[in-house]
Amino acid sequence: MQAAVGAVRARPGIRVSGQALLITPALGLLLGFFVLPYLNLLLISFFTKSPEAPYLRVLTLVNYERLASDPFTWGVVWRTLWLGAVTTAVSLVLAYPIAYHLARARRHLRGMLMVLVVSPLLVGVLIRTYGWIILLQDTGLINQLLQAWGLRKLALMYNQTGALIGLVHVFIPFMVLSLAAAIQGIDPELEMEARSLGAGTWRTFWRVTFPLSLHGVVAGTVLVFVLAVSSYVIPSLLGGFTVLTVPILVVRTITELFNWPGGSAFAILFFVITLALLWLYLRAVGRVTRPVT
Amino acid sequence: MAEISLRGLTKRFGTTVAVNDLTLTLASGELVALLGPSGCGKTTTLRMIAGFEEPTQGRVLLGDLDVTEAPPEKRNCGMVFQNYALFPHLTVHQNVAFGLQMRGVDRAELDRRVAEILDKVGLGELGRRYPRQLSGGQQQRTALARALVINPSVLLLDEPLANLDAKLREEMRFFIRSLQREFHITTLYVTHDQAEALVLADRVAVIMDGVLQQFDAPEIVYRRPQTVPVASFIGLTNLIPGRVAARSGERLVLETPVGPLHGCGPAGLNDGMDAMLSIRPENIEIAQRDLAAPVDGGNRLRGVVRERTFLGSLFDYRVDIGGGTVLRIQGGVNTVHRVADEVTVFFDAAAGWALPGGRG
Repeated sequence: MQAAVGAVRARPGIRVSGQALLITPALGLLLGFFVLPYLNLLLISFFTKSPEAPYLRVLTLVNYERLASDPFTWGVVWRTLWLGAVTTAVSLVLAYPIAYHLARARRHLRGMLMVLVVSPLLVGVLIRTYGWIILLQDTGLINQLLQAWGLRKLALMYNQTGALIGLVHVFIPFMVLSLAAAIQGIDPELEMEARSLGAGTWRTFWRVTFPLSLHGVVAGTVLVFVLAVSSYVIPSLLGGFTVLTVPILVVRTITELFNWPGGSAFAILFFVITLALLWLYLRAVGRVTRPVT
Repeated sequence: MAEISLRGLTKRFGTTVAVNDLTLTLASGELVALLGPSGCGKTTTLRMIAGFEEPTQGRVLLGDLDVTEAPPEKRNCGMVFQNYALFPHLTVHQNVAFGLQMRGVDRAELDRRVAEILDKVGLGELGRRYPRQLSGGQQQRTALARALVINPSVLLLDEPLANLDAKLREEMRFFIRSLQREFHITTLYVTHDQAEALVLADRVAVIMDGVLQQFDAPEIVYRRPQTVPVASFIGLTNLIPGRVAARSGERLVLETPVGPLHGCGPAGLNDGMDAMLSIRPENIEIAQRDLAAPVDGGNRLRGVVRERTFLGSLFDYRVDIGGGTVLRIQGGVNTVHRVADEVTVFFDAAAGWALPGGRG
């Protein structure tokens, strides 16, 4: 009897160390190629910029002071966050109906729909973006059609609209998949019950379906927001030079102005701002969803 | 309160017919069990009444209102699902209040009615709990309270006890029955459990492969089934194939592989017709070989015990009576017969019930 108890007790220990062993490669990869470079970036952001070398190994706070005191910095930060927020909101609204149908579709249909949903990710970012240029540019397909119908041309590219369209298109799969997973976990009988209790389809959605899918909404919005504010290729190609986001400015500071410490500081600053915003967001949502979890 | 009336209700999914030309009327305040094996179309029927499935043909009437085209929220049906479908993000109080909120009941009235119904189902103290903090029985009571608080015109229960353990199931049967009587609400109770249907219902509607087989009081469904499938689905029975040889009044004689047997049968079962004689295991007596003479008009057969199972309150025997026929017999534990014992079995003519149709 005692031996048996001992054996049972010993097992979790073995399992834990086994599990630890399994995640070691991923952890090592993350440490070597993510954490260390980031720490390096953090270090560089405190170095002094120099016209001769990437940076001088002299610690200073000047980079941050200069950033914080420049209204231009905050304008770019604000525009980036705004673009991210709008991308997230538009994706959420567009993705929810898709996710709902995906989650409630019959099994064999679900696989096909899933492929359709992730299809934007199957095309490389450059090819996909050039595809949008063909459609959206001043002489593009959409504007040609508008003109043929005698309508006014629309400025769909080299502005925020262009960047927004491109971002929503590529990040919508992340939103759909997050939402669909959550909606699939909702028993359809809950919706039936709400209906039989007198709630119409709209009220059933807002009182039952949406609140119960909130964890999917949180996952999807965080994912899309983070991806959108950090994306580089789409805003720079579809936004032209008029849409200046943080990633674009960071790259320019480093590659065109050769100001490594300044670019690093900006990257770190934005990282901290994004992190703080996410923390506030999760805390606010957590307060709403606490009873469920 | 309204009655439920189904008129020629049919539901086809592609080429399969889930419900076929079902006509059924529930009297006001009646509890009817819709009984059948799984996949027989009983849940589809319930969903058509509640408005979640659109009938291919036929009408659904609640009271005098034809609701066939009405959306679920306009039908005022109280619904309880097998897994209760309690809203996990709402407390017991909020769950029960949901339907009243949808009806725009003001706060004071709402609180009063929710408290009243929670008291009635014995959950007065648990209003602030979440469903996951409740036991199965308490969840069931919450679901019932939520369905009843809106004063529905009918109550629809879909296998409401299937997820409970045996003891609780028995308790909840009586609870549902007393609640249903108290509210005097017309109730359709879907179940695959024949014992549940027999115990609970005023009338039992047996449905198989989407077709209504019989709609009668529980005793009649059990004692006088109309078809072979009904006889074999409800309770245990022995079926002996034969042909009607003579008939007078309800009594008839059936020519079978084990000799002529006396029984009863429905009108319309006449000389020369194929029939199945159904004899319930508890209606057959078993005794030592050549012990007593049968009463007049009864049946007496010789057999050999092939198997014996102890069921607690009784023994379950399988007795070979020749002609390739093995009878299942359930009897008291006072006289015990062993396997390979030669025995005599008796059953009264009233215990045998002939059903139209031959084998299969």
